[in-house]
Amino acid sequence: MSSEQAARGVINLSESDSSLVNEIKELGGEELMECIQCAKCAAACPMVLAGFPFFNKRIIQAIFLGLRDALLDDSSIWACQSCNRCTEVCPREVNPFEIIQAMRRVAIREFALPTLSIEGLKSLYDTGHAVYLAGAGNTRVKVGLPEKPPSTVANPDALKELQAVIRKTALADLGIIPMDEPGV
Amino acid sequence: MKVGFFVGCNTAFNRPDLEQAVRYAFPALGIELDNLEGQSCCPSWGTMPSVDVVGWCAVGARNHTIAEEKGLDIVTVCGSCYGSLAESKYKMDTHPEIKAQVNEILKDIGREYKGTSNVRLTFYYLYHELGPDKIKEAVKHKLDGLTVALQPGCHTLWPSKVYYDKEEDTFHPRVLKEMCEALGATVGHYTRLIDCCGMGAMRSTDMEKSFKLVEKKLISMKNEVNPDLIITGCSSCLIQLDTAQDLLRSSKKINFEIPVLHFMQVLALCLGADPERVTGLAKTDVSRVVNRILEG
Repeated sequence: MSSEQAARGVINLSESDSSLVNEIKELGGEELMECIQCAKCAAACPMVLAGFPFFNKRIIQAIFLGLRDALLDDSSIWACQSCNRCTEVCPREVNPFEIIQAMRRVAIREFALPTLSIEGLKSLYDTGHAVYLAGAGNTRVKVGLPEKPPSTVANPDALKELQAVIRKTALADLGIIPMDEPGV
Repeated sequence: MKVGFFVGCNTAFNRPDLEQAVRYAFPALGIELDNLEGQSCCPSWGTMPSVDVVGWCAVGARNHTIAEEKGLDIVTVCGSCYGSLAESKYKMDTHPEIKAQVNEILKDIGREYKGTSNVRLTFYYLYHELGPDKIKEAVKHKLDGLTVALQPGCHTLWPSKVYYDKEEDTFHPRVLKEMCEALGATVGHYTRLIDCCGMGAMRSTDMEKSFKLVEKKLISMKNEVNPDLIITGCSSCLIQLDTAQDLLRSSKKINFEIPVLHFMQVLALCLGADPERVTGLAKTDVSRVVNRILEG
């Protein structure tokens, strides 16, 4: 192995970002420091079975080591299924799922989020549904349902209400999606 | 008896036949459904929950208050809606400071989250409120002679602390099995029963890796149960298991097809629903198994 190849696997801790731990704790991962890296969460995680480079235990380890860029440059945190097997089995009540969500919150604050998430947020704000298929009306009618479900898409006042709520959340300060007042 | 039906996104827009199945089955069992007019997305994991806790809970809380004002519990067929709504409720009920911040936001739209409505998944609701015996008495058709493999779904089980309806042991779930047995089915066990199907964020992020999971799952079902039908407890699992088989066959990963339906679709059929309306959008060929149910 050349020295360059060997160096690739070396983690340079002098470049680590010690602020990451506090940021995670502030963004919902309060129990982070309870983690003892026992890997019970990893044994239960679908991301391990599917072969992702980072998963609950390793994401927490990378946060401890302050490897912010390693986590932001990889899509693994966005592949978490939120299945919460980890939360169920964790003997220290770390809630690893919430730590992964907190890492997503860190990423979003650096605009490091996948296009699909931006589209989902925009669709949520514009229609009230993160997943919305404009052409679904015909399919609904085909199975005997009204063209629109009884949600924000059939109820403009409800959509205005939801948008007013979203404009009061952290999303509004981040400027990821346009949030014009409807009808203005 | 009355309950609020939370439709969600995927059921309303991708599989409205499943929505129709719920709208048929509940009244047929004597349970009135409220539309929870003006409901929105739960919100799903990749949206508000990935931005911040209070924003997640605020969008969830607006949905909760629609049910609270009517004094109703919420039922859903979607695991993600079930998980996100139950989790936002749990956060607000156990963290007064989150609840207070959410209510500050909701004040502007004249709403207040109180925490008086429970979030339920359709088959757990029916299990606890009616029980398998009453359902057995109500059905016109039975699944006698049919062997099924189950896909309960991650969010129907974990994290158990946030759910109102609980399994005795979430890693050995029994409720969906008992419900299917009440309809007359033979339920086979397979090794990967509680494995994730790969739908959701994983499929959006890396389709190939997501399909590894659904492939392992389908092969385990086929080899160990060889079912006539897969019955899911979650609408996302329904979509994944139903749509992935064609793609897996094209890439020569599997050489079979197993029809897939959600439990509520099977129940609606057993109660006499029109198969076109309640199963008409399946990608797998369900015609043979539907006919067997209607003859049973």
